[in-house]
Amino acid sequence: MQVEKFYYDNKIVRNFAYATVIWGCVGMLVGLWIALQLVFPDPFPHGLNLAPYFNFGRLRPLHTNAVIFAFVGNGIFTGVYYSLQRLCKARMFSDKLSYIHFWGWQLIIVAAAITLPLGLTQGAEYGELIWPIDVAITVIWVVFGWNMFGTIIKRRQKHLYVAIWFYIATFVTVAVLHIVRSGELPYTWLKSYSWYAGVQDALVQWWYGHNAVAFFLTTPYLGLMYYFVPKAANRPVYSYKLSIVHFWSLIFLYIWAGPHHLLYTALPNWAQSLGIVFSVMLIFPSWGGMINGLLTLRGAWDRVRDDVNLKFMVVAITAYGMATFEGPMLSLKSVSSISHYTDWIIAHVHVGALGWNGMLTFGMLYWLIPRMYKTNLYSKKLANNHFWLSTLGIIFYAIPMYWAGFTQSAMWKQFTEAGQLKYTFLETVTYMKPFYAMRSLGGTLYLVGVLFMVYNLYKTVRAGKLVANEEAEAAPLQKEYAVHKGEHWHRWIERKPVQFMVLSLVVILIGGIIELVPTFLIKSNVPTISSVTPYTPLELEGRDIYVREGCYTCHSQMIRPFRSETERYGEYSKAGEFVYDHPFQWGSKRTGPDLARAGTGNLKKNNGWHFRHFRDPSSMSEGSVMPSYSFLLEDNLDISDLPAKINAMKKLGVPYPKGYDKDAMADLEKQSLEISSSLLSDSIRISSKKEVIALIAYIQRLGTDITKNEKPTFNK
Amino acid sequence: MFKFIKQYTETIKDVDIYAYMSMFIFMVFFIVLLVLVKKMSKERVNTLSNLPFDKAEINNSSTN
Repeated sequence: MQVEKFYYDNKIVRNFAYATVIWGCVGMLVGLWIALQLVFPDPFPHGLNLAPYFNFGRLRPLHTNAVIFAFVGNGIFTGVYYSLQRLCKARMFSDKLSYIHFWGWQLIIVAAAITLPLGLTQGAEYGELIWPIDVAITVIWVVFGWNMFGTIIKRRQKHLYVAIWFYIATFVTVAVLHIVRSGELPYTWLKSYSWYAGVQDALVQWWYGHNAVAFFLTTPYLGLMYYFVPKAANRPVYSYKLSIVHFWSLIFLYIWAGPHHLLYTALPNWAQSLGIVFSVMLIFPSWGGMINGLLTLRGAWDRVRDDVNLKFMVVAITAYGMATFEGPMLSLKSVSSISHYTDWIIAHVHVGALGWNGMLTFGMLYWLIPRMYKTNLYSKKLANNHFWLSTLGIIFYAIPMYWAGFTQSAMWKQFTEAGQLKYTFLETVTYMKPFYAMRSLGGTLYLVGVLFMVYNLYKTVRAGKLVANEEAEAAPLQKEYAVHKGEHWHRWIERKPVQFMVLSLVVILIGGIIELVPTFLIKSNVPTISSVTPYTPLELEGRDIYVREGCYTCHSQMIRPFRSETERYGEYSKAGEFVYDHPFQWGSKRTGPDLARAGTGNLKKNNGWHFRHFRDPSSMSEGSVMPSYSFLLEDNLDISDLPAKINAMKKLGVPYPKGYDKDAMADLEKQSLEISSSLLSDSIRISSKKEVIALIAYIQRLGTDITKNEKPTFNK
Repeated sequence: MFKFIKQYTETIKDVDIYAYMSMFIFMVFFIVLLVLVKKMSKERVNTLSNLPFDKAEINNSSTN
């Protein structure tokens, strides 16, 4: 048959590669900055918090979003655009779509980098970006999918290699996750409330959050592993059969695992149990994949000593193995009771992000760039130094965080012989500072390594010339294909990318539907509590400030049913207490104490205490790592959106009275005046119009609902 | 068998169906997958695992 000549588009691969390097540096630099903010929490220039835009609470989401969507996101597209063309023996479907995809994605990242420091957020971890950006992500994701499927359809290679399955599953699942998580009701052109409330919002969030890890940080990178490791080792994957089992079992099981983020919370127990069972089972496909990756190097282990690409890849796959062993263990209730809310989880995710994603990206870049520029890597020695700096950086990062996590948990749970809690929360915070400092050292080493890579790749690029259009030849695919009798099922599915996509979709929807639907449809899942009432207008405004400042990044609002928690924070949290929380704010980390009952019981402080604490946290809690929120004392509360907020909440089912949007303002002013006059009795003179008044109102409301009646009424 | 689930959802009619269904789908899916993968021919597996390589590239074609 006549062979066709065509050209691979290397320019788009180069663009994404540059983007992953640049955004990687930015994301890691922000990470290092926020790590150091916990060591030097004072306002700039005495510390590293620059209020309001660069306080910890606003920068932490910037760090996570930058690393996940900018660094890893561009890393995915680099690898996909390179390998897909070669595996399909075709140029990308449309240069124009590639171009729109590239610039669209970078614009989304820039928009995120602007909006997050401005406090424009939805307050859901890894789903913080505001609704117009969510719409843009949807459009650009469709462009990516269109370009990918276009390429697959016009391919010259009959079969779809296993890497492409992972890319297809990534595309489909991320689309589903993004659409479900973005269920929100806009009330202005920048702001919205989550459609879901309380427990349901929590379940959607962690179904999304966990699967963002699964289908953004894992499956596409497994696809890259199945392409780049064999290429770098110059030998085929260890077992292709294992890769088939790995693929289908991984995508089937992953989608169920989300509820393990919510163990011992107010989430219905059946959903927690499903999450645990599937999380534990996940170890098998994950390790199947890891073993398949590592054994691809069978007979080539001697090369790992000299080949820097392989070194990075081996550490990446090993880190994947460690993280995916730890994940199922952390999903066990007994382990979760110790690890949840502590720095242990921070260590766990960084083994994944720095080890798996980071090292595989670096290995891929060191392999790709010299090939596309038809030259050799500028310095192998520098790349080796990078390797050791990264590896040591991960160790110096992870060990202090594991240590910190175990210590935190032990200190939180420690009772004296007299039966009282041994440590105040603040004591546990100040004890952590040396660990936070050591972690910063690990992060610095890792970042310095990346800067070595930037220099090395820069010199490599300067020494070569980009082959923008790389010539290739292949015979076209025969249009007609005779189906043989007794043809293997996978042969059929591998030829049919659309059917493949549909089958992947069905597989991931099974878990999603069984997990989410009962909680949504069945009222009995969330027992209602008659004394729980909607937030007052001032509390609602205060809550929006709480979300805006990212308080959830350090404070949970979910008391688990342990004696150590009920002693410290009060009665454990009930599902029915959160029915008006759009979005939920349970949090996932306790750098500061839980606030679920900050307005009642042991934790109750007067308004004056909160005022002084927001102005200068360390004046009330010596050694606190919380940033100063003195700007809340100066800025007036913007109440122009209040009617729109009340109307949006009503649409979402919050039972405000009819026409309340018109009366809300008067209630807000009345409550503001009450708080400002109570502050006056504490020798604090402040206008009732300041933001801090609203935030105090919200904090004082927290957890008070169930103590309103003398006898709380539960239907269970 | 599924007491831990039923306890919390007993007000839902026939709630066991969710748990039984998920376990059933899971079992069928994996058994069918394993059987079908086992039946793949060695020659075909070789072809597939060599897809990332051009013909000119030297590689060890042995798999499994």
